[in-house]
Amino acid sequence: MGIVSKILGLALAGMGFVVLFYGMSTTDALSFLWSFMGLIIMSLGFALITGGKQAEKKPPPPTVTEIRCSSCDFKEIRDFKKGDYVLMPVEETCPKCQSSMTIEGVYIVREEPEVKYNV
Amino acid sequence: MQLGGTNEYSWIINIAFFAFIMLFSLYGAKFQMWQWLKQIEMGLSEMKRMFVESRQTAIDTFKDYGKSEEDIAKDLDRWMDYFTIMPVDLDPAGILKRLDHLLDERRDRFQEFVADLAPESNVSINQNLENTLEVTQVLGLIYRVVRHFYILGKKTGSQIMIMQIQMQMPDLLRLAKAYYDALGAFSEGKPIGDGIGPLVVTKFARSYGATPESYIQEISREVGYYVVESEGRTVYALRATGPGGTVGKPGFGVKKLVEQNKNKIARIITIDAALKFEGEELGRVSEGTGAAIGDPGPEKHAIEQTATEHGIGIEAIVVKEDEAAAVGIMDKKILDAIPEVLERIKESIVKRTKPGDSIILAGIGNTIGIGL
Repeated sequence: MGIVSKILGLALAGMGFVVLFYGMSTTDALSFLWSFMGLIIMSLGFALITGGKQAEKKPPPPTVTEIRCSSCDFKEIRDFKKGDYVLMPVEETCPKCQSSMTIEGVYIVREEPEVKYNV
Repeated sequence: MQLGGTNEYSWIINIAFFAFIMLFSLYGAKFQMWQWLKQIEMGLSEMKRMFVESRQTAIDTFKDYGKSEEDIAKDLDRWMDYFTIMPVDLDPAGILKRLDHLLDERRDRFQEFVADLAPESNVSINQNLENTLEVTQVLGLIYRVVRHFYILGKKTGSQIMIMQIQMQMPDLLRLAKAYYDALGAFSEGKPIGDGIGPLVVTKFARSYGATPESYIQEISREVGYYVVESEGRTVYALRATGPGGTVGKPGFGVKKLVEQNKNKIARIITIDAALKFEGEELGRVSEGTGAAIGDPGPEKHAIEQTATEHGIGIEAIVVKEDEAAAVGIMDKKILDAIPEVLERIKESIVKRTKPGDSIILAGIGNTIGIGL
């Protein structure tokens, strides 16, 4: 449902409105039919305006492993590997000071839209 | 002719108008029921999808440990119906002891089943497999209960039954989705939000020189502790073993520690994840009085009872999380709460105990993906 359908919906709603009022004001024998048609066209238009496309399912955020040096401030973040756990000593040494390193965190960072409630 | 006017066609409009009124006053409830049933059907098909997919994930996880897919699928389906009958509460005396016995039995059966189904795995992986199994079982249970009330409501035409399910559907779906999303964490051994308690305890102990080797195993089932000196006090930092997924029996661990150190324990501090209210920030740290432990009863009772009997001060520090964050992979915001929790623990130790006292610091939660 893109912008085209929204414009089409707006046009249909407007047209339906005109037809409805024509039906309500005319002395034509089938005026109620015109009014009814106007309502249907209007509702079709509104359906097109309000109908949005289904929210795409976002893939879950990647799980990352945070490795820190036990002596200096060196920190490395990489993708989670099966077998990683928090506080696990890793084989590699710190590239800055050659000290041992430990997994300090395995986590995800959720990107959720902040919905604010004024309460 | 104008609408509302009278002419040779107005009788059609009058009939249509009265037909509309009659139709909706007589069958309005039926239309609404139909609408509710359709909404339940949509929710049910989503629940079924989650259950079927989680069952498949469980099968895929188990098949790495020595059994064929067919064998696993057959045994797993048998296990999906496994139930625990709660103890009779007409005579409440001793109910917690009976409940504890039943929970132990249930746990034994789970462990036995997992060991049978994954003969080539080890203890730590078995614990993760147990958690995977439990999540699949929960999803199956939610689906079967909702389906039961849907079919029953349809059969009996009971409006109240259908209405209740339809109204609870968003909450049930949210719960099911939280567990469904958590399955990846359990099957791959990633830490979950509920593990913040044990993680804080280990970080605290490590900051005072504790190591995995200094962890004393099995004070109670799957629970051990570190002994560290902090601010002139002796701290027994207790948590379940890891990095396999278990909550252990920390309540009984606390009880045993108090009995082993008669008249020495001055304070019990429990650290846990707690459900946050909507509108509260994820990872917010709160503190209060009491035992922060979300078990069915025996563990919490053990802590409360022992604290009361020995006149020990008891307090809780919790990290606020929603259901999805508690059972899902640990969120960065939860991890970022650790420094504040550690600060509050130290503050409590310094303010509310004296040098020379002993303190129990109990980290409550699932230790999946959290090493010692």
